Formats: sequence, C-alpha cells, structure tokens
Amino acid sequence: MRSPPIPEMATQEVQLSETLAHLKTESDTLKGKLEEERAKLHDVELHQVAEKVEGLGQFVMKTRRTLKGHGNKVLCMDWCKDKRRIVSSSQDGKVIVWDAFTTNKEHAVTMPCTWVMACAYAPSGCAVACGGLDNKCSVYPLSLDKNENLAAKKKSVAMHTNYLSACSFTNSDMQILTSSGDGTCALWDVESGQLLQSFHGHAADVLCLDLAPSETGNTFVSGGCDKKANVWDMRSGQCIQSFETHESDINNSSEADREVAIYSKESIIFGVSSVDFSLSGRLLFGGYNDYTINVWDVLKGTRVSILFGHENRVSTLRVSPDGTAFCTGSWDHTLRTWA
Amino acid sequence: MVTSAMTPTTNSPEALAESQEVLANAQLFERGCPKAAMSSKMQSSGSIAQARRTVQQLRLEASIERIKVSKASSDLMRYCGEHAKNDPLLMGIPASENPFKDKKPCTVL
Repeated sequence: MRSPPIPEMATQEVQLSETLAHLKTESDTLKGKLEEERAKLHDVELHQVAEKVEGLGQFVMKTRRTLKGHGNKVLCMDWCKDKRRIVSSSQDGKVIVWDAFTTNKEHAVTMPCTWVMACAYAPSGCAVACGGLDNKCSVYPLSLDKNENLAAKKKSVAMHTNYLSACSFTNSDMQILTSSGDGTCALWDVESGQLLQSFHGHAADVLCLDLAPSETGNTFVSGGCDKKANVWDMRSGQCIQSFETHESDINNSSEADREVAIYSKESIIFGVSSVDFSLSGRLLFGGYNDYTINVWDVLKGTRVSILFGHENRVSTLRVSPDGTAFCTGSWDHTLRTWA
Repeated sequence: MVTSAMTPTTNSPEALAESQEVLANAQLFERGCPKAAMSSKMQSSGSIAQARRTVQQLRLEASIERIKVSKASSDLMRYCGEHAKNDPLLMGIPASENPFKDKKPCTVL
C-alpha cells in the first residue's frame, strides 16, 4: 500500500473513495428498487393472457426468389419502400441493389473495405447507406444511368471510432442513425455530415438498432454486447429504458410504445442473428445460426414453423414494407425472399 | 455491372497501421460470429464520473411509470388483433395478389 506524499492528498483520496462508495451504494439501492418494482408488475405471463386467443394454423412459406451475386457472406439487407427493391451488403465489400421481383441487379458498388456490416435504403428510394470495418457510414445516391460511377457521388456521413454495426435512415433521407462497435449510437445530418445527437450508455459494442415505427417516431431501440437493449429518446439523447436480455418479463414505459414491449421478447430466443415482426406483430421471424428460419407466435410463445433453404448461417432478415414477404441474407452468399 | 471504387493506397506508417488493424479485425470476424466475442470497451469501475452517470441513469429509469404485464399483454393482444387482417404473411393472400408468389417474374413495362 503506497503512502501519499502530502497529508492533503491523503484527505482528497479518502474523500474520493467515500464519494465512490456513496455512489455505489445508491446505485445498488436503485437497482434493487427497480428489480422489486419489476417483480411486482410481473403478475402474469403473456402466453397465459393469450390463452383464449385462437391458435394459428399451418403456414406454408417457401423461398420464392433466390438472389445470387455476392462473392462472400451476406451481412445485411434492407427493403426499399417500393416493396420490391432490396439493398444488400457483403463481406466481399460489395453493396448491391436488386429488383427482388425479377432478381435483376440494378446497381453495385465496391466499398473500399471488406465486411460491409450495415446497409440501409433511403425512404425516397433514391439512395443507400452502408458501412462496416471502415468505421464510417457513407451514402450513395442511386443514379438512373446504369453507366454512372456511383462511387463518384459517395458522401461520407458518419464517423465512428470502431466498426459500423448498423445504420438506418429516420423518417427522411436527411438523417441517419448509426450504431457502432465503439459502444455508441449517433444521429447524423446527411447533407452536412454533422453529428446531431450521440447516445452513450452501452458498456460494450452496440450491434443493432431499430426505430419505433410511428410517423412521429422519436425513439429507437439498440442492442449491444453488454446484453442490454436500450430505448432512446432521439431528441434528448437520453436512454429512457433499459432491458437486460436474460430476463423475459415485459415492462412498458408510460410512453405506451407497444413495440418496446415486444422487443424485450427477443431475450427468450437464443442463437438467432436477426429478427423481424410481421405487420400485425403476431408473427416473429428469426434467422438462426443453424441455417434455418423459425416462425414464432408472439402471443402464445410457440413456434409455428421452421423454414429450410439456406446452406449456411442466416445473418439478416427483414419483412417487406407491405408485409407480403420477408427477405433473408446468409453466409451462403445468397439472399432469399419468402412468402 | 460492377463499378469499382478504389481509394489510392499510401505507404505511410499511419496507413499501414490502420490497414493492419482492419486486417486484425477481419481475422477476428473470420473465426465466427464476431459479435459475441468482441468487446472493445472496458470500463474502469473505479471511475467516479462513470459511477455518477450510472446513478443518474438509474434515477431516470426508477422514475418511469410502469404498467403491469397483464395490462401490457392485453394491449399487445389488442394490437395484434386489430392489425391481423392487414397482415399478408399471417392471413395468407391469394397467389394472384402476391407478386412474389407468381411463377413468372414480373416484367416492368
């Protein structure tokens, strides 16, 4: 044990460690209170309440289209609002825009890095955003001229200090939300590249995010390696609610954002790389590391279907904007649409 | 048609270090799902600032109104019920109405 050189410093050190001890006590007390409250509210399980709900019948869903063209693992995909176009990104460094009806490739960009882990379609359908190991999120306006070099118009929007794990446009082409291995999420202005809001609170890499679906959407959820799912207010940068993923209880904040409660259910599914809900929220589709897709009845907590087709891990899954189909991307280099 | 966007390579020490880091990251990812294995932030629990932030955050969360699971559950059930008929994957729609179910791909005129 080292002795401080000056008596005043000894007092300071003691004061510092007292404050730290106080803070620790307070945080332990608060955590205890939160757990107590949650336990009190946990009066029943969802599937018990849903007992009287009619069960779902048999589902026949199969691969309707297979999109081939990536040279390596598909890591991410997103739908265009026109319900037919899809953007996908891959470990091979390519970002491809497809017409999912015809399976034609409409655009392709080679990124200067491999492992393009995130991609997103702009609401207008006129641009795509992507990023990954380059720690950035870049926006590429899509040109109608097939011969035009898309890379020439590339705009670097977001800069993180570690890999980009996910990105999403907000309600307009003007703002992008990003999450990163540096443990933060951030909201950016696309035109100027300016950071509008940053979201700190995860203790480790943030892996995914999703915006609340309302038109006036001001909240989003992020999930991280710290096993937490955090709900954020985009205007203030505050974390409004936090879920530990080993719990399966459903706690709603008084924001009455129903989707928040639904996301906490992700905790009971393991080995899944990506999930998405059907339009009504009744079905939950999960893409798994065992190459399958499992379809769950959210209310009853039971599995309704397993879908086979991919020849490697399913890495990304999204339901189309009008809910008529969903698309999966896989480490087998392909994408498939299912309906 | 694939368009290529290659940034010019530089041989500066910084560029070299950066590309080595990217390569190291890529190698980590190659070993399997990187997301569970990598954690790039180690927080020192002795930090006062960190402890203050934690307490502030917990105070905020403790002040949020919560509802019972039974209430949340019935809200969820009602939501699902109200939107069920508009959910094509749930209800199933005839093949003629689902462009993905067409045997022939659509042609854009």
